[in-house]
Amino acid sequence: MKQRPFIGWFVSPAALVALGLAAAMAAILQYSVRAYVPGSLDVGGLTLENFTALLRPLYAWAFWGTILLCLLTATFTLFLAYPVAYALVRVRSKALKSFILIASVTPLFLGEVVRTYSWMIVLGNNGFINSVLKSLGIIDRPLQMMFTTPGVVAALVHVTMPIMVIMLAAGLSHIDRNYEKAAESLGASPVRCFLTVTLPLSMPGIVAGFSTAFAWTFSAFATPQLIGGGKVNTVSTLVYQLGFASFNFPFAASLSLAGLVMTFAVIALMKRAMRPVERLGEQ
Amino acid sequence: MPFSMRKSPLALAGILLVAIILGFVMLPAIVVTITAFNDKAILAFPPQSYSWRWFARALSYGDFQKGFWNGLIVTAWASTIALIVGSGFALALHRYAFSLKSTLEAVLLSPLVIPHFTIGLGLLILSAQLTVGRGFPLVVLAHVILVLPFVLRSVFISLQNLDGRLELAASSLGASPRRVLFTVTLPLLVPGLVSGWLFAAILSFNEFTATLFVSNQATQTLPVAMYNYVREYADPTLAALSVIYIVVTALLLTLANLFFGLGKILNVDAH
Amino acid sequence: MLTRTDIATPTSLPAEKPVVQLDGVTKRFGEAIALHEAWLKIVPGEFMTLLGPSGCGKTTLLNLIAGFLDADGGEIFIDGILVTETPAHKREIGIVFQNYALFPHMTVANNIAYGLKTRGIGADEIKRRVDEALALVKLDGFGDRKPRQLSGGQQQRVALARALVIRPKVLLLDEPFSALDKNLRASMQIELKEIQQRLGVTTIFVTHDQGEALSMSDRIAVMSAGRIRQIAAPQDIYRRPQDRFVASFIGDANVLKGKLSAVTDAVAQVTVGSLSVEVPAAPLAGLAAGADVDLFVRPEHLVPVDGDGGPAAPSLAGTVRTQVFQGGHVDLYIDLGEHAAQPVLLRSSAALAPSKWQTGDVVRVRPVSADLVAFPKQDG
Repeated sequence: MKQRPFIGWFVSPAALVALGLAAAMAAILQYSVRAYVPGSLDVGGLTLENFTALLRPLYAWAFWGTILLCLLTATFTLFLAYPVAYALVRVRSKALKSFILIASVTPLFLGEVVRTYSWMIVLGNNGFINSVLKSLGIIDRPLQMMFTTPGVVAALVHVTMPIMVIMLAAGLSHIDRNYEKAAESLGASPVRCFLTVTLPLSMPGIVAGFSTAFAWTFSAFATPQLIGGGKVNTVSTLVYQLGFASFNFPFAASLSLAGLVMTFAVIALMKRAMRPVERLGEQ
Repeated sequence: MPFSMRKSPLALAGILLVAIILGFVMLPAIVVTITAFNDKAILAFPPQSYSWRWFARALSYGDFQKGFWNGLIVTAWASTIALIVGSGFALALHRYAFSLKSTLEAVLLSPLVIPHFTIGLGLLILSAQLTVGRGFPLVVLAHVILVLPFVLRSVFISLQNLDGRLELAASSLGASPRRVLFTVTLPLLVPGLVSGWLFAAILSFNEFTATLFVSNQATQTLPVAMYNYVREYADPTLAALSVIYIVVTALLLTLANLFFGLGKILNVDAH
Repeated sequence: MLTRTDIATPTSLPAEKPVVQLDGVTKRFGEAIALHEAWLKIVPGEFMTLLGPSGCGKTTLLNLIAGFLDADGGEIFIDGILVTETPAHKREIGIVFQNYALFPHMTVANNIAYGLKTRGIGADEIKRRVDEALALVKLDGFGDRKPRQLSGGQQQRVALARALVIRPKVLLLDEPFSALDKNLRASMQIELKEIQQRLGVTTIFVTHDQGEALSMSDRIAVMSAGRIRQIAAPQDIYRRPQDRFVASFIGDANVLKGKLSAVTDAVAQVTVGSLSVEVPAAPLAGLAAGADVDLFVRPEHLVPVDGDGGPAAPSLAGTVRTQVFQGGHVDLYIDLGEHAAQPVLLRSSAALAPSKWQTGDVVRVRPVSADLVAFPKQDG
């Protein structure tokens, strides 16, 4: 249609919101190249010091650690979420389908604080796991899980599970079952059929889910802050400390900016790296 | 294949695996529920005796009450604004070609991958630069930005499922574009609009990281109040509050599933 | 004989003012030309069919008339008024879609009333006209139901009632029967044609089904690759196809390899083996005697010659390849050797076959009709 009725009404509010977001990002960019004035909320002149400071061991290690944490979490999440998504899409009973859906999606809507708090009770020295292990006589001194990387990863996997399940299931639900039936009729074993048909076809969902899980883990703050307890430093916890403990907003901005660039770079890389897997089915 | 009719060993292993994973997903909720009824003030498992006292404390604690009302204000504004902005943009995306279309779409969807602390920090600096205080408008703006992608997605999926010929039929019958919008398009989009709004509302009410950056003592929402509480106290009050949260959220989702089909909303059901 | 220019304004057309007129309407989608300079006049009360394979541009043409698409060139007139730039809601046309597009959130009565309400008609008048429309499509008493509670056939009637109740200047039908099963389809076709004639409403019908087109239309516009190939009454389309596409798309056709032996103004002589037949000269314009041509013969115009072939009837010899029993008749596929690239099809009464011929038998055939056409030989 040549006429586009209401296009102004439809687009301008969204454009305003986009402008707000763009302005916030521009503000970060601007602060990241300004000098820190200790003891003041105002900033000084132009400088690249905030970026050279990123290379200091504490921050370089935290950066590296965060990337590892994100990769680890996204990988575990993928392996745990795939069977659930598969079951969700393929299970016949409507009631069972609803149960799986609600059980796996509810955590998404609980927010980071409630979920992190729950994990503190599960992982704590007097928590669920230690109590069970103690009463079974497997351990006599509590296992230290709070303030450790594995503890943080466990809680983070729980945070990213729902979105991964949704994205994988969305991809799987659009795969025609007849492809699998055709493969099986041609003599492919269930495992072979899965590896050569289902898995390659669900690749877009996997890439989308993995990228999102990566980004969400990078974004997580309450979990590494509370379960890491200062022993597990991530970009998010450092940004918060720089901002609200030392009021060094310029440095917080440069750290955020570096994190943002890295997130986009990793997601782009991931999409490239996963391309060969999509071609698995052709061999 | 985990769920074929023939229960092969592979299928049984699959069912068991899924059950264990779902157990992992539900474990914290179960543990926190048991803890909430712990009579003692120390976090310990299993509890020695049980009571409702932490529920009473959670509901009467001043910061939680304030945070709850703050949260409602922010959520009501943010989800409603996001619904209006998001549906309008979804309609434009679906129907029209316009300049900067894909740029605008990319920007509005970017909060899905931009860390929340980055958005929070950016808005905080922006408010300092513009010398506007950290009032409700700033918190609402942050929430609108963060929940908009979900509204956009929900409404856009509904639009894709809407048969465009219905709108053509209406205009061939003499209905003006405005009349088509209000008598055909919007009524048929109601499930998508309601579910989009509901999604936005739940996510906004639970948003924490960005809110921590842009709120202050006067505007802090419930999750921020809860975070501050858990840093100071280690009693089961928060467990009780978490239980209320879990019950209400699961209830809302079950209702959404009954009325709209959660699978369709989340696009995990093939049509 | 018809010439190229006659396609746009056939001589058979009554000299009435057209209800719909297209003057060189063109539509492009990006690089692709979906519709190439369509010229068309539709007279009052006419049932005009746009027929062609999918992707031929017929639906594009319909959408242009309805105002759902904007033309890239040419002009569209409805009832003598230029509507090229008029939005759909001001064109006063009724349309029935393939899937009916009934508003799922409204009752049947409200679906039908929709177009009346947009026109600001009073409630009493609306009620009267809705009841009238329901009666017209034999759905009295169904007004309070929702569309999903109706069968496919009933939904189609509602869609028709909704389109007709606004007394449109022209009724557009977009493959309305394709969602119905075979038996229902036939009865709906008769009913639709009846209603159309009773109301005398000018109708444009889009279909890819030649059976529907031949049985229902006053005139047919055959389309292919974005062009209107021929506009004529059904009999003329079938008997006198104007180009190769029309000849092969409508009905079955056997293609025999012939030679042009003589041309006059109107008639050309074509020989195939010992046969010599007369065909219209127009499609062969520009060819000289001796040129290779393809002779098109309908299966029902090809008959077996009994015995050794009488002296008065020249014929072609062939071998029976396959026989296919079709109930009322038998399809015989006969290999004519050098005279046809593909085995030719002829229809024999089932009473004679299969006993009369065996696969491998030699049989002589000859065309028996004045309606033969030939086109320049096509490569490949």
